[in-house]
Amino acid sequence: MAHTTAQPAQYNYAIVRNFTIMALVWGVLGMTAGLYIASELAWPFLNFDIPQITFGRLRPVHTTLVIFGFGGSALFATSYYVVQRTCQTRLWGDSLASFTFWGWQAAVALAAISYMAGYTQAREYAEMTWPIDILIAVVWVAYLLIYVMTLRNRSQPHIYVANWFYIAFILATAILHIFNNLAMPVSLFSLSSYSLQSGVQDAMTQWWYGHNAVGFFLTAAFLGMMYYFVPKQVGRPVYSYRLSIIHFWALIFLYMWVGAHHLHWTALPDWTSTLAATFSILLLMPSWGGMINGIMTLSGAWDKLRTDPIIRFLVVALSFYGMSTFEGPLMSLKSVNALSHYTDWTVGHVHSGALGWVAMISFGSLYHLVPRLWDTRMWSTSLIYLHFWLATIGIVLYISAMWVAGIGQGLLLRAFDDYGNLAYTFIETVQFLHQPYVVRALGGLFFVSGIVIMGFNVYMTIRQGRREQAALQAKLA
Amino acid sequence: MSKDNSQKSVQTTGHSWDGDLQEFNNPLPRWWLWAFYATIVFAVVYWFLYPTLPIGRDYTKGIGNEITYTTADGKTVTTHWNTRALFLKEKEEARKQQAQYLEKLAKVPYEAIAKDPELSAFALSRAKVLFADNCAACHQAGGDGVLGEYPNLLDDAWLWGGTYADIEQTIANGRTGMMPAWKGKLSEQEIEDVVEYVLSLSGEQVDAEKAARGKSVFMNNCAACHGQDGKGQKFLGAANLTDQIWTIAKVPLANSLDGKRNAVREVVENGKTRTMPAWKGRLSDTEIKILTFYVHELGGGQ
Repeated sequence: MAHTTAQPAQYNYAIVRNFTIMALVWGVLGMTAGLYIASELAWPFLNFDIPQITFGRLRPVHTTLVIFGFGGSALFATSYYVVQRTCQTRLWGDSLASFTFWGWQAAVALAAISYMAGYTQAREYAEMTWPIDILIAVVWVAYLLIYVMTLRNRSQPHIYVANWFYIAFILATAILHIFNNLAMPVSLFSLSSYSLQSGVQDAMTQWWYGHNAVGFFLTAAFLGMMYYFVPKQVGRPVYSYRLSIIHFWALIFLYMWVGAHHLHWTALPDWTSTLAATFSILLLMPSWGGMINGIMTLSGAWDKLRTDPIIRFLVVALSFYGMSTFEGPLMSLKSVNALSHYTDWTVGHVHSGALGWVAMISFGSLYHLVPRLWDTRMWSTSLIYLHFWLATIGIVLYISAMWVAGIGQGLLLRAFDDYGNLAYTFIETVQFLHQPYVVRALGGLFFVSGIVIMGFNVYMTIRQGRREQAALQAKLA
Repeated sequence: MSKDNSQKSVQTTGHSWDGDLQEFNNPLPRWWLWAFYATIVFAVVYWFLYPTLPIGRDYTKGIGNEITYTTADGKTVTTHWNTRALFLKEKEEARKQQAQYLEKLAKVPYEAIAKDPELSAFALSRAKVLFADNCAACHQAGGDGVLGEYPNLLDDAWLWGGTYADIEQTIANGRTGMMPAWKGKLSEQEIEDVVEYVLSLSGEQVDAEKAARGKSVFMNNCAACHGQDGKGQKFLGAANLTDQIWTIAKVPLANSLDGKRNAVREVVENGKTRTMPAWKGRLSDTEIKILTFYVHELGGGQ
């Protein structure tokens, strides 16, 4: 494969390297936190009566570290890389880019520490207290500015499709973050605040944010990643330009409407529920557009699947993307939701997206990226294969366990006996969950082992790159 | 780059980025397009059938989806499809299904319930849910309680009496059981002796001399509530000390005689006050009746 990387003056690779390393650091920490809380659910004694590590506090630590720490850093890294490569221009604003790095890392670290200390805004995926929210808003506006200015400086006539997805993600995330976090602090020296909205409007705003965090942060942005790294790694053109346009606009138009499907069968008005459910169904094919475009890019190069473990990561990611974007609309129908909601089916669904799609596409992309950033080759290819299998087995264990737990508990909760009385008490439905929870923790163990191995492999690759660089310098001198 | 025969005729858009990044100009996959149209048809049909579009302060209600239900206080309501009406309709059906049993349960005496297999099966099925929602938090899911805190309902011991009438009284109006603390009121020696005597009542092999002294301490201080024979008095909720069932002292957890002595001493010295809340007003009379029947069934009702 063509290996045209060594143009350090032309591109700002330092920022990409920093974000890449932090993506792996947060990935290891965040997934380990996830494994720990999964184990707490299976074996509650692991709470050890220490408030800081109980499930309630570690759960937002887990979600924040994996979504914003791992996912966010991977997106910063790849978007800064892709925008430079496809615009053939250096990233605009070196010191501002550096600010986005330090600002983002600080926000993630402060969030995790504050949750463990018991400070939370109690909004799912937006638990950060108001000072951290302000820091994030400032970093994000800087990110938008850098991205737009770099696009304006491009020396290419056209903007590559990956950049549409990245820019949509950056813009939408700014809007979501700011509007969902509108709040009045109790006082200047208090971390507590009152939300601007109240009641069902507040819940609506939260889930408008919550679902679009999935839609724009965890879907659109990673599709941007897919649109660069899949054709690059496969070495073939993207399957269909037309499909990419249609599914891009359909996706970003439709996603904004569907958040209310998280609030079926609540105080939410029924008409709002209906709109959310039907727009979720409409979203199915636009979502699949991305999967088709990615997978069909491989047509004519399927043989590479046998020899290239990175392509395996990318293809499995696309498959899980297709699976979970089918499952999502299904669960958004009111009648299915009546069974699935408040059960672990939701948790399984999120993880088939988060582990199967987001993490797998990131692993594949980072394996493509790392050797190019440090100008060497991956230290070990067999460890990439090992990581691939550990991750894949881990996901399958995880989501099957959650299907059993979720559908099982849903059925137990609605079972009636011959006299029309509930057949099971709540505690009986909880006891039923123990075995699936053990299997889920095992799946998590597989997945965490995988990323730890990746971290090691990348560390050895960076060392190798530096050694080769030093040897080259010595030869030249 | 490998060539693909099927795409020989398809051109790229002519743009390229970063060396080799290009895009084919393939048309939209037919099946994808038709499936997308199908979801649009589904959505539009759905919008006509269910509440959908907000108009001013109102919204479209959907066509041909009326739900009629009767509320608990007998009002009949007809409305367009909505999730709350669905819920109320389901409640109405459940009420209808159970009405015959509940009406009969309210009328007949406990003994008649026990004799009627279908009625008692219904009562036990209903009680399981009531017990889980209201009682299990203290008495535990299986009713075995927590030693020292919440009485075990499975054994043969009844602090406040085990007849239907006693149990109903306990559930409806609650109980407060109070064992006073004797530390300071009795001397160290007296406490040691009375502990020995109490253990002897359950047939423990204790120091006979101490137990003999303890007997007179017991008669002067404890017999007022626990009775001369130590068998307790149900109108005070005073425990029977002769049946080897311990409801407060953690004797069953001790594995040596000294451990048992300490367990009894702990209760004698510090006393214990326990409260069973009153459920009248929180549960209906029929629900209390059902729970009474269930608790009576759980452990040797009298």
